[in-house]
Amino acid sequence: MKRIVIVEDDRDIAGELKELLDNSGYAAVILKNFKAACEEIVGAQPDLVLLDINIPYVNGEMLLQQLRSKSDVPVLMVTSRESEADEILSMSYGADGYITKPYNPTLLLLRINALFKRLGTRTETAGITYRGMEVLAHKGVLRYNGTEEMTLSKNEMTIFMYLLSNKERIVSRDELMTELWNNEEYLNDNALTVNISRLRARFKEIGLEDVIETRKGQGYILG
Amino acid sequence: MNFGKYCKDKLYTAGIFLSVFILSMLLMYAFKAPGQLRIAEAFILFTGYLTAFFLDFFRKRGFYDELTRNMEALEEKYLILETMHAPGFYEGQIFWELLGEADRSMVENVKKHRLGMESFKEYVEMWIHEIKLPVASLTLLLHNYTESLHGREKSIQSAEGETDTATFVERINAGLRRINFYIEQILYYVRSENAEKDYIINDVKLSKIIGQVALKNKDDLLGNDISFEVTDADKIVLTDSKWMEFMLNQIISNSIKYRDSGKPESYIRLSAAENKTVTVLTIEDNGIGIDAADLPRVFEKSFTGENGREYSKATGMGLYIVKKLCDKMGHGICIQSVRGAYTKVELTFYKNDFYKELV
Repeated sequence: MKRIVIVEDDRDIAGELKELLDNSGYAAVILKNFKAACEEIVGAQPDLVLLDINIPYVNGEMLLQQLRSKSDVPVLMVTSRESEADEILSMSYGADGYITKPYNPTLLLLRINALFKRLGTRTETAGITYRGMEVLAHKGVLRYNGTEEMTLSKNEMTIFMYLLSNKERIVSRDELMTELWNNEEYLNDNALTVNISRLRARFKEIGLEDVIETRKGQGYILG
Repeated sequence: MNFGKYCKDKLYTAGIFLSVFILSMLLMYAFKAPGQLRIAEAFILFTGYLTAFFLDFFRKRGFYDELTRNMEALEEKYLILETMHAPGFYEGQIFWELLGEADRSMVENVKKHRLGMESFKEYVEMWIHEIKLPVASLTLLLHNYTESLHGREKSIQSAEGETDTATFVERINAGLRRINFYIEQILYYVRSENAEKDYIINDVKLSKIIGQVALKNKDDLLGNDISFEVTDADKIVLTDSKWMEFMLNQIISNSIKYRDSGKPESYIRLSAAENKTVTVLTIEDNGIGIDAADLPRVFEKSFTGENGREYSKATGMGLYIVKKLCDKMGHGICIQSVRGAYTKVELTFYKNDFYKELV
């Protein structure tokens, strides 16, 4: 399980953030001691740090600089300031991402997910498989029986990949929609339904049933 | 200084002079002074009076004419004292000193207001960051609450209860989105009024900004069944991405707000085109459109027009701020519309050489 340290001085937000992350399959820890923030973060050995810019004692950018001198743990900056200068500054101090408060929680999860995926690609490029099929996401191709290939449309692939990378839990329609829109595919409700049934039909063609199960009122899960 | 008016103003001195002249003539006559003496006396008196009269006139004219000329030429009239030397005559000096005092008190006053304004702006900016915290916390709370409801889904079996909760949550979310929209609006209003240059012009991909704005408005677009179509947006423009995101968000929000529910299909279409000098981003919707009479005034502050009155939520600030930010960054904006048919906004981004020329 990935460990995430939350550096946020607003207790309400920190608490809700922890719940959000815990529910999404991460182990979240809230930083308590801002005076020795850097040591505590390094000590917790996290996989990711969610770092707010407005924190007591040192500001987020200073803390990021300190942190960078000791560790190259991924850092996602969170801020309620909204300016290009802040963003550029944070990135130059070595942040891996930047999100503005108040953020859409689904979007925050997507960002974290994407960040892990980006950082993880070096180790696991070759081996994404599903039911014995090799998934070549960048080509939009599923390879089965060794040589045969099935081509998916970009939208179908996005949906499939998202379900696949969250295969242990139910994925809501809203999440799928956010993921698609995040990939600049502005589908409406009907189009999403159409894409999912088409995806099911494609799998049926090659003899795979119950690939995408519907959980009423909640969403979908990969079978 | 007008000579005629000056004479009129000095008419009383001429009156006094004439009385004195007549009196002295009568006196000479009474004492039977010789004719030559009388003529000489008259000559001396006239010369004396006229010399004093014209000397005074020219002395004052020099000062006042310069004052008038400088005043007309000056953009900032309150700087008039800086352009002049103190006058040589007494009345002028009194005037000069008092004007200086008035000037100083005005500068003091302006400074007080500027400081007040600055601290007000500072407070508003700080307040905006503060208010975002509870909004962020509420958003997270609501999200977690909905998730936990799904977790307990088995206990809430009735399908109706489920939809009730869903609409309830969506309504709160819509409220939160509106709060965010207005928070953003005031933030950029404060920034647009600020004289400082606090934006950074960079290479920005239009499709990326469109994506951000689309995500922000996703639920409103889907909820109102508005199709969002983007074509040819993978162009790079010179702008500040945050400012641009705000501007586009205002425009898209207007398109959503003023949609035409009577039409079978609502759409918002974005497309970009470029030539050698400019890139133009077009945002077109098939909403209710804008009255031809209102169209020239949409960028005016607090102008709401016919649509604003019908949809009482309008503040008339959105497009005003957008236009201001456009002017600051050197982008062009124009709006075309036909009532009941469409509204089309065109944003023009100039390419690099334009900025080079500015420098």
